[in-house]
Parts: sequence; structure tokens; C-alpha cells
Amino acid sequence: MKELDLLKKDWQNNNAFEQVSELEIYKMLHTKSSSIVKWIFIISILEIILWTVISVFFNTDDYLKNIKHEELDIYFMALTVFNYAVILIFIYLFYKNYKAISTTVSIKQLMKDIIKTRKTVQCYVWYNLGMATLSLLFGFYIAFAYNPDVAILMNKIGNNTKVMVITIGIFVLIIAAFLGLFWLFYRLIYGTLLRRLFANYNELKKIDL
Amino acid sequence: MSDDLEQSFVQQLKTNQNIIHKICRLYTNGEDAHKDLFQEITIQLWKAFPKFRGESKFSTWAYRVALNTAITLYRKSTRSVKTVDYESQQYFISNEDYNYEEEERLKLMYKAVYQLNDIEKALVYMYLEDKDYGEISETLGISEVNARVKMNRIKGKLKKILNP
Repeated sequence: MKELDLLKKDWQNNNAFEQVSELEIYKMLHTKSSSIVKWIFIISILEIILWTVISVFFNTDDYLKNIKHEELDIYFMALTVFNYAVILIFIYLFYKNYKAISTTVSIKQLMKDIIKTRKTVQCYVWYNLGMATLSLLFGFYIAFAYNPDVAILMNKIGNNTKVMVITIGIFVLIIAAFLGLFWLFYRLIYGTLLRRLFANYNELKKIDL
Repeated sequence: MSDDLEQSFVQQLKTNQNIIHKICRLYTNGEDAHKDLFQEITIQLWKAFPKFRGESKFSTWAYRVALNTAITLYRKSTRSVKTVDYESQQYFISNEDYNYEEEERLKLMYKAVYQLNDIEKALVYMYLEDKDYGEISETLGISEVNARVKMNRIKGKLKKILNP
């Protein structure tokens, strides 16, 4: 085939490719981890946006107004401010990890950075789960202590131990379900990324023997 | 220790990078796709590098891993893009060659090869690299006879693409 011979001639003579430098190759070897860490960073930002949007729709002010205990608003405010502050610190840490990993040039340092990122993410997930538990407990406490509707309900069932036990059981179930959902959410999103990151770490470790 | 390994890998890859560039040329149709595939192959080579014990030449080992990477990667992606834009193919053509007609034919050839499937491209690559059928069959895990038959079919296919 004439064309194929022509192609072969060109193929073997024409090697004018833009050459990749050593530094670029080093970078290529490390971008895999850095892209995962970049995603952790991006997702943490998306997450804070998501929670902010949700909190706009579920306003606690109206609820407090309804139960006529607006003075409690200050506690909610404090909790929200504290929460945002902590999350912003985490986002800053994620960003720092991402920067550290994308500029690392040695494997040893990269491995250290991966472990650090993993720890940060784990802390972040535990913090969020803890905060969710705290918020739920706080919410229930307010409902029981201040909500008049609940007080009426409590009076009715107060004399009946069986109903009482069932009610408490339902609350526990609700808390467990919420936490389970949260846990699943974090496991799906960050768990997948962390697993990939760790697989990468193990590969690096094999090489680092 | 690991840094030595990494250094040796990077140096050998740098010297032999045209192998990867050539594979990228067959499997991709644009500068960005070329760079992406180059990086993916580099990562796969690095992953496989600890298993490379220098029994064969680095270049022989590298082109096999690189071909396998390209094949698996392009098997996953649906080959929905059947046309190649004119600009993206241009940079493949050498500047020293001023023969307009020949250049035009070459362009069409590269375009035709791009339309082949992943395995066929691998065969064309090894054919262009003057690998013998023994090596082709070993690399692709098919029999030598099968490799010959496949290559003949590819020639027919290319002819058909060029002269529809």
C-alpha cells in the first residue's frame, strides 16, 4: 500500500515533538494526588454553600418567634458563627494541603502531605458529625424546655410510661437516622476521595521501600 | 533510595519520550488531548516502573505499557468523534516537507488512521515502528497469524476510508 509506505517514511523521519522537561515529568507524577486534594478543597467549599442555602430556607428565627422565646436567638447565632469560623479554618487547611501537595517535589514529602490531608479530612468529618449531634440535642432541648405545644404533649403522656418510652425511642431513632444520613453523606463524598488518595499513598510507599 | 528511582525514571522517560508522543499522535486529535494522554501514560509507566527490572530495554518496556494504557483508555471512552478537525492535524505534519501533494496525502492518512479502533491503532503503531509480527502478537496477546490477518484487514480498511 503506497500510502502506508509514505506514512511510514514520514513517521520515522518526523519526530519534531514539543519536548517535555524533567521538571514537567516530576509534576505529572504528583498531579494525581494534587487533583484529589484539589477536589477535597472544592467540595468543602461547595458544602459550606449548600449548608448556607439550606439554613436560609429553614430559618430558626420564625420558629423561636412562634414559641415566643426570641431571646434564645443569641445562642443559635453564637453556634452558627462558631460553626462557620471552624469550617472556614478547615477550608483554609484544605487549601494549604492542596498547595503543599501540588508543589511537592519529593516522594517522602508527598507521602507526609497525604497523611496530613487525610488527618485533616478525618477531623473535619468528625467535627461535622459532632456538630450535627450537638445541634440536634440542642434543638430537642429547646423543644422540650420552651415549646408550649410540646409541654402540653408532655403533660398528656407524662403519666403513661409506655407512651413515654415509645416517644423517647422515636427521638433516639430520629437522631440516629439523621446522623446515619450525615455519616453516609460524608462517607460517600470524602470517603471516596480519601480512598483514592490512600491508594496513591500505598503506591508511593511500595516505591519508597 | 526512592528519589534515586524517581530520578532514573524521569531521566529515562525524558530520553525516550518520543515513543509516547508517537502513540499520542495516533490516539488523539488535538494538542490538549495529546498532553492528557501523555500524562496518563507517564503515570501508568511510573506505577509499573518498580516491576521493570531492566530485562528488556526501557524503550521496549515503555512502548508496551504505553500502548496498553492507550488501548484501555480509549476502549472506555466512546468513540463518538469520528471527524478530525483540520487544524488539529496540521501540527503533525513536518515543516521540512514542502511537497504539497504529498503533505495532503499524509494528512489524509493520519486522519484515516485516527478513525481505526484502539487495537487497530496499536497494530498500525507497531507496523510503523517496524516491529516484527512475533513482537506484535506477543504485545497484543494474539497469535501471529491473527496479527497478520488483522494488519491486512487494516490495510483494506484504510484503503476504503481513503477512497470511499
